Amino acid sequence: MHFSPLPYLDPGSGSMIIQLAIAAILGLGVAIRASWGSIKKLFGVKPKPEEEESDSDNA
Amino acid sequence: MPSTEQLSASFRDPSGFLFSRAGILYRQINRAYSNDYARLMDSGLYERLVKVGLLIPHVESDQAPADAQRDAAFKIIQPERVPFISYPYEWSFSQLKDAALATLSIEKRALKLGMSLKDASAYNIQFVRGKATLIDTLSFEIYQEGKPWTAYKQFCQHFLAPLALMAYRDVRLSQLLRVYIDGVPLDLASELLPAKTKFNFGLLTHIHIHAGAQKRYSDKTVAPRSGGMSMQALTGLIESLEATVKKLSWKPAGTEWGDYYENTNYTDSAFEHKKQLVKDWSAERKPKLVWDLGGNTGVFSREAASSGAFTVSFDIDPAAVEQNYRTVKAKKEANILPLVLDLTNPSPSLGWDNRERDSFGARGPVDMALALAVIHHLAISNNVPLPQLADFFADRCRSLVIEFVPKSDSQVQKLLASREDIFPNYTREGFERAFSARFNIHKNEVVRESERVLYFMEAR
Repeated sequence: MHFSPLPYLDPGSGSMIIQLAIAAILGLGVAIRASWGSIKKLFGVKPKPEEEESDSDNA
Repeated sequence: MPSTEQLSASFRDPSGFLFSRAGILYRQINRAYSNDYARLMDSGLYERLVKVGLLIPHVESDQAPADAQRDAAFKIIQPERVPFISYPYEWSFSQLKDAALATLSIEKRALKLGMSLKDASAYNIQFVRGKATLIDTLSFEIYQEGKPWTAYKQFCQHFLAPLALMAYRDVRLSQLLRVYIDGVPLDLASELLPAKTKFNFGLLTHIHIHAGAQKRYSDKTVAPRSGGMSMQALTGLIESLEATVKKLSWKPAGTEWGDYYENTNYTDSAFEHKKQLVKDWSAERKPKLVWDLGGNTGVFSREAASSGAFTVSFDIDPAAVEQNYRTVKAKKEANILPLVLDLTNPSPSLGWDNRERDSFGARGPVDMALALAVIHHLAISNNVPLPQLADFFADRCRSLVIEFVPKSDSQVQKLLASREDIFPNYTREGFERAFSARFNIHKNEVVRESERVLYFMEAR
């Protein structure tokens, strides 16, 4: 699938390919973290309330 | 109708552009961008970002579109005016780092509300009320499932590469941004960074491997398409960039750090007297915008700012500017902007047709300038004749508070110790003669317990 419209910046072929590769690995981490609660629950650990991104984290 | 001028810094993005009319800055939004703009406003993203100071506020205006692109116009908005436009090569380490983190924080918030940044240019960030703030309202696009982050390369070049070079090699490498207007090329960054950065996962992937991939695919075309860039993967990418930037740090080394004013040759009483004079004269003149030229860590900038002026505090030393910026943050000061600038070689006009980034001089003149303990550096270390110094200051400001440091002063003696004294005119009389040609000298006071003289003058 192609995206339209094409971006006005050239994202760069190499940058695009490496981004997909790196992000695939990093996304795995996000997925594991997202389901960490349910994994812990399996072992009887109570889930902590989820942290919201603070509104003043422009540091 | 008053004349309309399109601003030369905003020609690249077809979504719209900036123009000024009768001294007011407007942004035209083109029809091509109408859906994205509607989403920004309706999703609540605009409101959330403005609330935390991450995006410049604007109001919609009923001004007529700019003549040149009348047919493309969808809406005209009037953004809040930024008191002073600065550029990444004028920022200290922490300023560039905060600008990077602000960009990533905006992207994370945007993704949560179905939008994404389509560019990540450091030039889109300005310091407003002491905080790194996005000034390009048209940087957002509606997020498309599966689409990689278009701005990834730009983010690495504009932020990550210079920050890594400053942290791991030398803080002065921020000046590469002055040469490379679209950020530091990653192959150059990869080459200049020490080998140990390959053991840092973020720098290994986002700079070293990234640079390698750019080289490998440099002559191949890959259309931006879905390659499994899930929202999870995109979130992972942004969080990885964020963690990598957060881990980069720079602390000025050496004994100078933190005790600049202990290396001076005058007494506490002289120091306090100087502060009082700057404060009194600023209160009298009530300037809106002040430039403190050679502002060091900003002690006197703050005296000028106490009159309500927005004060830009320039210094050549990145360590002094870094400390000044940390004070701004710690004290939440809204009207001080510390910047790195070499007065003997100030920022030039840069970019396409030399019109994209304004030179230092083109961003003036200002209501008032301070030049404290700086004239001997310009006149003696840099050999600038006094009449040329008078011309320089008269072209930059309307009122000037300037300190004359005589030859007998130990700081000047230090400068003359290793060279011939070719400055017969560098005397109080010679100084007054040269500056009287361009200024009316209103006041002069000998600084208590010193041989230095503070002058208050108005450009003719």
